[in-house]
Amino acid sequence: MTEPSAESPADKLARATPPRVARRIRGLSDRAIAWIFVAPSIFLLLAVNIFPLIWTINLSFTNFRANRNREVEYIGLRNYERILTDSDIWLTMQATAHFLFWTIFFQVLIGFTLAWLINRKFRGNDLWTTIIVLPMMLSPAVVGNFWTFLYQPQIGLFNYVVSFFTGVDPSSFSMIGQVNLAPWSIVIVDTWMWTPFIMLICLAGLRSIPDYIYEAAEVDRASKWRQFWTITIPMALPFLMLAVLFRGIENFKMFDLVVQLTGGGPGSVTELTSINLKREAFEKWRTGYASAYAVILFVTVFGLASIYVKALNKVKER
Amino acid sequence: MAEVVLTGITKRFGRDTALSDVSLTVPDGAFVVLLGPTGAGKTTTLRLIAGLETPDAGDITIGGESVLGLTPAQRDVAMVFQQYSLYPHMTVRDNLAFPLRSPILRTPEHEITGKINEVAEVLHIAHKLNNKATALSGGEMQRVSIGRALVRAPQLFLMDEPLSSLDAKLRADLRIELKRIHSALGATLLYVTHDQIEAMTMASHVGVLDHGRLAQFGPPREIYENPVSLTVAGRLGLPRINALPADLFPGAPAGAATIGLRPEHIAQGEGQTAQITRVEHLGDQTRLHLSLHGHDIITLTDPHTDLRGGQSIAIAPRKPLYFDASGVRLA
Repeated sequence: MTEPSAESPADKLARATPPRVARRIRGLSDRAIAWIFVAPSIFLLLAVNIFPLIWTINLSFTNFRANRNREVEYIGLRNYERILTDSDIWLTMQATAHFLFWTIFFQVLIGFTLAWLINRKFRGNDLWTTIIVLPMMLSPAVVGNFWTFLYQPQIGLFNYVVSFFTGVDPSSFSMIGQVNLAPWSIVIVDTWMWTPFIMLICLAGLRSIPDYIYEAAEVDRASKWRQFWTITIPMALPFLMLAVLFRGIENFKMFDLVVQLTGGGPGSVTELTSINLKREAFEKWRTGYASAYAVILFVTVFGLASIYVKALNKVKER
Repeated sequence: MAEVVLTGITKRFGRDTALSDVSLTVPDGAFVVLLGPTGAGKTTTLRLIAGLETPDAGDITIGGESVLGLTPAQRDVAMVFQQYSLYPHMTVRDNLAFPLRSPILRTPEHEITGKINEVAEVLHIAHKLNNKATALSGGEMQRVSIGRALVRAPQLFLMDEPLSSLDAKLRADLRIELKRIHSALGATLLYVTHDQIEAMTMASHVGVLDHGRLAQFGPPREIYENPVSLTVAGRLGLPRINALPADLFPGAPAGAATIGLRPEHIAQGEGQTAQITRVEHLGDQTRLHLSLHGHDIITLTDPHTDLRGGQSIAIAPRKPLYFDASGVRLA
């Protein structure tokens, strides 16, 4: 016989729970419970990422056009063949490579320099950090929009500043309108907007180097120059590489800023792959063809990123 | 050659005075140990000599020349930091080679390798040379950090509690090794520690710092036997010196407020009767914890003693040290 007074709270709870449910919950293994917890996210991942990916791969072998109601035929690798032999697509690839290379080059150069300057302890460096970081917080559409004004040949501030320093007539050139200048116009705006991002990550890297390491180097008779190359750079490199990875992936799929700024023009000199892809898919409605295009881009980014991450890990292990 | 002289050194950090009017002469080739509680200014003294801090007043000379305007690199000192300060992205070998690869020195690579192997052998890290500096235990890191100082032959070594993170056996080994290296190199060595055994066994001179002031400077035995104040007396000796009211025993001089009795300076079998509260057998010695008129006293006795807690024993002071109310030594 059980005495009611000797009952613990846990016993009470067990009694209050209907026996079938209690048994069922108790019967679940840890593994099953773990699955219950991760199942919603896995379902979402499958529905939003994995399924569309597989469906895109599937469509890439067809002549499907989403705006037409006709029989879909499987045409094998013909879409891929057409893309890889299309000289226009190679031109957009080149435009993208140009954009990627120079944005990352300038952003790393300026971003690291700024981080290095901010990291030297001086009064008001927090304020400077906030000011420098501002462009990053704006919407790309807004940035694109107001830079079109800055680049305006007659009233634009950019042309005026260039003219002030070089003496060139401000209305004699148009950053957005000229074939030779337009690729640089998007490089400048992206650099203006995203250099702070590289700076922030580099700053985190530089701040992670403790002062006593520099003190030890100082006593070990390393010059400032040698300290920079043997301590600062190697210890901040993993951070810098991570920042480059983020920017690289982001800029490979750059869309909003450039559409707002140049719309891919003049002609198609600033038509980056993502803009080109959008045109194929949702203006020309060549769905199957665009799917193959997307798969190629995905494989390119994925492949490059994997190689890069391997290199990054090697640097970290060093 | 590398006599280090500090004259009237004062160093303030904001409102805190880390060192106030410290004057100290470290003779050439001496092994000087700086003792003192946390915050006494020991590390600051080393950092000032290394050139990592600038004094607010006073002068520092090394080898007869003022070094105040010189950078740490120009002072030719090697320093072992308390927190290892290894270069985490380099291997042990590269850490040891770092000071030698200085463009000023232009040491040939085969000479660097030779030096590194020699030092690694002494510090028992030869098998770890290709490890990354972060893949070491705390003791190994500290040995690498000592090694980084030893590969150079500077005129002055500064060491900030280099053995504090090592285990007892390694500490004993390295104590002997450091002493041997010191006599072999003939360099001047300034050493900060909390550990009184390190101070007593290695030092040719001990400096006791207290609240940013140099309380006493001299050979370790003199500091032990002839402390100028109660604070200094409490720095050396284990178990610590017994500080008791001067009137507990007869014979105190006029003005004495405190009598200082080292544990070994208490005669047993005569004088006043004290209660034994605890007996600690440590193997080579036995400590007696006594209570006399409510005051705790620790003394030493024969390792094979039969005394037990609860018994009584008569004690009398021998070689007592007397201090006045402010802790200054009287006699």
